[in-house]
Amino acid sequence: MNKSIASIIIGAPLLWGACGASFPPPTQRMADAQAAERSARELGANNIPAAQLSLKLAQEQIADAKQAITAGENQRADSLLIRARADAELAVARTREMTARVDGQEAVADSNAQATTNVGQGAVK
Amino acid sequence: MNRLYGTSLLVALTGSIGCATTLPPQDLVMARGAYDRASKGPAPVHDPANLHAAKEQLDVAEASFVENGDTQDTRDQAYLAIRKAELSEVVARTRQSNQAKDVVVSDMHADQKEAVAHTSAELGRTKAQVTTQGAALATQGAALQDEKARREDAEKRASKAAADLAAFATVKQEPRGMVITLSGSVLFASAKWDLLPAAQVKLNEVADALIKEDPLSKMVVEGHTDSQGSVPYNQDLSQKRAQVVRDYLVTRGIASDRITAQGFGPSRSIADNKSPEGRANNRRVEIVVQPGTGR
Repeated sequence: MNKSIASIIIGAPLLWGACGASFPPPTQRMADAQAAERSARELGANNIPAAQLSLKLAQEQIADAKQAITAGENQRADSLLIRARADAELAVARTREMTARVDGQEAVADSNAQATTNVGQGAVK
Repeated sequence: MNRLYGTSLLVALTGSIGCATTLPPQDLVMARGAYDRASKGPAPVHDPANLHAAKEQLDVAEASFVENGDTQDTRDQAYLAIRKAELSEVVARTRQSNQAKDVVVSDMHADQKEAVAHTSAELGRTKAQVTTQGAALATQGAALQDEKARREDAEKRASKAAADLAAFATVKQEPRGMVITLSGSVLFASAKWDLLPAAQVKLNEVADALIKEDPLSKMVVEGHTDSQGSVPYNQDLSQKRAQVVRDYLVTRGIASDRITAQGFGPSRSIADNKSPEGRANNRRVEIVVQPGTGR
């Protein structure tokens, strides 16, 4: 019993080290994060204050991830890219929210203008 | 040897317990707050899927903290939990906005549809009115055209009558009044004093004009001859002729007390009796209208 526990404790760092060494470059994660970041930019996240910070965080973490990959820290890069993607997706959502809000305001304005026009033209019962 | 392993196991466990009792990383505290806020907002109704994913991510972070303590992995998982909670909030608000907008737009379309229906009904009524009015206008136009044709016809006849009248009567303003001079040869045959049929037609027009234009003034019908023949004969002839014309005008409606007759024979010639033309001009009947005399 003691022996088996001991072997786990001894084995764990070995296993850890093996993982670190063999962790492949996170190419797919990089592609996913960059795609999300591009979407945010193309939607205009740079022009939406609520989305700017998220976009910036995504971009910084992508840059950090590239450095980490260069430094051979693939696992660290992998984590950074997961975070970057989450930030980019949040930037996309915030941009869409602002677009929806503006659309809603325009719809209300259109509706009011239409109602005024209808009254003005006597086109109401 | 066994003891040594035992001690290191103890140390490892102690370390593990020590981790569990350390304060949670700031990201994890924020993740709990973010999830708490999201679960109390519109997300449970409008974006339950992302809210659920946020909960699962928070659980991963919590488990990581329990198992490993404040590690980079725990902070990464907590960081993701914050983003997912925020994402569910943002998506839920977006859907709320879109739904509100859809309601506004569909209300607007409904109102618009109603307004269009109302307007097109009004337009239909207006069109019907316009059609009715157009028909009425066409009728009026036709009536006007008829009226115009009638008036033109009447004017044509009137101007012809005036021309005819002018051919046998001249009108002059003189100090003694308006003098209508009628040619004797048109009225009477030579040495006769009964009116020629053509003269009657002309005198009808003169009578109509006198009644219409000047129904009150007094007038005198004067008979004149040329100088051929004896004065008494001509005097008598001129008197008879004036009287015939006067009587005829009375039969045409001129009040008898307005009109008198007088013969002047050759005494008031207006042209030279030596030429045939002069004598023709002297043979005449004059109607002298004295304006204001009847008022």
